[in-house]
Amino acid sequence: MKKFINNLKRYYKYAIYSAKADLKAEVAGSYLNWLWWVLDPLCFMLIYMFIAQVVFRSKVAYFPVFVFVGLTAWDYFNKNVTASVKIVKNNRAIVSKIYIPKYILILQKSFVLLFKMFISWILVVILMFIFKVPISLNVFWFIPIMVTLYLITFGICTILMHFGIFIEDLANIVQILLKLTFYLTGIFYQISRIPKPYSSILLKLNPIAFIIDSFRKTLIYQTHPAYFYLGFWFVVGVLLTTIGISIIHKYENSYAKVI
Amino acid sequence: MEREAAITVKGLHITYRGIKKFSIKRSFFKLKKGQREIFEAVRGISFEVEKGKILGIIGKNGSGKSTTLRALAGIFSPDKGVIDLHGNSVSLLSIGVGFQTKLTGKENIYLSGMLLGFSEEEIKKKEKEIIEFAEIGDFINRPVKTYSSGMYSKLAFAITAVLETDIMLIDEVLSVGDVKFKEKSYNKMKELINDDNRTVVIVSHSLSTLKELCDEVLWLHNGQIKMQGKPEEVLAEYEKFMKKK
Repeated sequence: MKKFINNLKRYYKYAIYSAKADLKAEVAGSYLNWLWWVLDPLCFMLIYMFIAQVVFRSKVAYFPVFVFVGLTAWDYFNKNVTASVKIVKNNRAIVSKIYIPKYILILQKSFVLLFKMFISWILVVILMFIFKVPISLNVFWFIPIMVTLYLITFGICTILMHFGIFIEDLANIVQILLKLTFYLTGIFYQISRIPKPYSSILLKLNPIAFIIDSFRKTLIYQTHPAYFYLGFWFVVGVLLTTIGISIIHKYENSYAKVI
Repeated sequence: MEREAAITVKGLHITYRGIKKFSIKRSFFKLKKGQREIFEAVRGISFEVEKGKILGIIGKNGSGKSTTLRALAGIFSPDKGVIDLHGNSVSLLSIGVGFQTKLTGKENIYLSGMLLGFSEEEIKKKEKEIIEFAEIGDFINRPVKTYSSGMYSKLAFAITAVLETDIMLIDEVLSVGDVKFKEKSYNKMKELINDDNRTVVIVSHSLSTLKELCDEVLWLHNGQIKMQGKPEEVLAEYEKFMKKK
């Protein structure tokens, strides 16, 4: 654990700088430049709003906000996990030439995605104003929920990264599992619409469903999240991260031989 | 005069084995355990380099030179044996680590430098020197993808040559750019090497380079040390050996 903290101290600046570089590179040379960071989520939001309002005719209160909160959190999780499976291979040029703690690669990616998620949250706030969502002090739960989401995602990513190096087709399997999770997370519908025993089981077993549900509860419906489960998933997140980091510490020196 | 050692290697073994990649399909169809391929790249070498000295490593292709170098750089961990760098910082002088080709040369100096473990302030101090050394003119403010391959390697060489670490590991990079730059980088190499505090390990096939630069030469053959000693003696033997074949 000490090693982890030392490495973080040593490399987090690189992670930030390189995340910035990635963001810059992404828009360098495109006509609309950084506007894409806003346009991208905005367009998706409009598409989903159309589908939600016109196609599904949903009766959930503040439905566009409801959908967009779900998508924002889901996108972050989804993109992180997808990237982490192949992340070492994609950074082969670095990994085979220099020693770098491998989870710094995940950290760097998560910074890029956090930034994008941040923009997406701003859009959520704007949406909340447009639809006149009432606000209570419960919105401050946003921060602990965010931390839990970050930890869970980071933990899962470190573990997947390790196995992704040795198992070539892990990426395919992860894609399928993510699709399944997407539909079991209730992004377009309220998860409580699933028949009774299953819906509460899902909310308890699927951390992302729980986290998205908590975001909605605090941001839109002015209630607080389930304290116990929030604490529970926070602990699970810490555990996953610890396990992932120790696996990586143990095996990372053989990564360069395999890729 | 007794001088402290900068690198101590004892009984270094490195093997590539077992941990080969597998796909699920392959492992389904091959239920019986396939034979594990074991390849020992380095089998038990020990050596010591004193601080400020230059060690050359020579040997034919596949004799474990590069593997040794990468182990010293910390990319691989040894399977057996110990590598002790006595707390010195180390860098493998290699071309263009972590370049983001859509960004400008200047930004890439920072990116690459920070990856090597330098702080932003340290790089800022050296930035001018790097740009001057790379001599690519206005291109420094243009995206790296517009560079010619020569400019690319010049910039990359400049970064690693100017940002100095205690121990430098060099893997055949002395032939970068045009004749003029080659000479310049060769001289820079010499200058770096003459610094009393810098320890250098060079892997090369060029006998003349090694003869001129090194204090000591290590001859690796099939992952083992065949000979170690003064450059003239080792290189003469090596030349004889290579000609016999």
